[in-house]
Amino acid sequence: MFEPEDDVVARVIQQLRRPVTIDPELDARVMREIAAVPPAQRRVWPWWSLLAAAAVLGALLITRPWTWDAGRSGPDAFQFVLVAPQAASVSLVGDFNDWDPKRAPMQTAQGVWATVVNLAPGRYRYAFLVNGVEWRADPGAPAAKDDEFGTPSSVVTVGGRGS
Amino acid sequence: MGIERVESSDAELVRRVRAGDIGAYGALVSRYRDRLGRYAVHMIGDHEDAEEALQDSFVRAYRSLARCYDPARFGAWLYGILVNRCRTTGARAARRRRMFVRDADALNGAAHADQADRLEWTDSVDRALARLAPEYREAFLLKHVEDLEYEQIAELTGAGISALKMRVKRAREQLQKYLREAEHV
Repeated sequence: MFEPEDDVVARVIQQLRRPVTIDPELDARVMREIAAVPPAQRRVWPWWSLLAAAAVLGALLITRPWTWDAGRSGPDAFQFVLVAPQAASVSLVGDFNDWDPKRAPMQTAQGVWATVVNLAPGRYRYAFLVNGVEWRADPGAPAAKDDEFGTPSSVVTVGGRGS
Repeated sequence: MGIERVESSDAELVRRVRAGDIGAYGALVSRYRDRLGRYAVHMIGDHEDAEEALQDSFVRAYRSLARCYDPARFGAWLYGILVNRCRTTGARAARRRRMFVRDADALNGAAHADQADRLEWTDSVDRALARLAPEYREAFLLKHVEDLEYEQIAELTGAGISALKMRVKRAREQLQKYLREAEHV
């Protein structure tokens, strides 16, 4: 006994409308790939990568540091992005803002936190301060091994200076 | 106290991305990944190829964002990119299309008869969908699964509305036929 055509098709449609599981890392891969698209006059450090290790904490850090072209020496805008859907607040703190969370609060759009800071060539240590209490280093960046404060932090080198 | 979450519109997020806020693009990816991912999986058939097509579509859209002339309709514009990408992938994958044969052990190991029935039904639907001509599958999915109007589908695919209606009709008939055949196997 066959079902009427409409019933079969209705069951097919119902089946196909079910959610499909998409790799949760896909977002990170997209962000990493577009971060590697150099805007005009800029280039990307080849060693930068985005890691999803922070998924353990329900967060993923994505940082896109750029370097100046050789021969330029003024500050340029660098965007730092943190995917942290569970966070209520995130600030970017580092050598460039005296580690003052009030100076670089990050803005969110659906759990993606971002802020832009101007950086002159040099070497900077930085971290993310989540919810005002939790320090997080950037897993996609080199860890700062010389952090005398005992909290996790990362290093960004702008313009090839420093190490 | 605390931070109030603000739901940004597509147009606002596109404006921010164009202003250099790459994080805003993450919000757009998050917003569309599941729905577009579902279309890609059903259209291409292979999950891995579908995710590759989806990722590539997001990246292409980002690189071409200046050509999104109506940011309020970013979603429709993105859909168009994915539809084209799926056509390319589908043509390439047709020669090595993976059939949706589920491991017999998995069926035998299903805890309940209902579960085995569901798995068999899922496989049957996947197989029937894979047998449709790509243009029939595309029209059927956009109309009945993604719930788009024919005018929208015409805009995405470049096909005329009467041709699309015919494709959907044929797709429905063929799905019915293929699923009946499956019942007799």
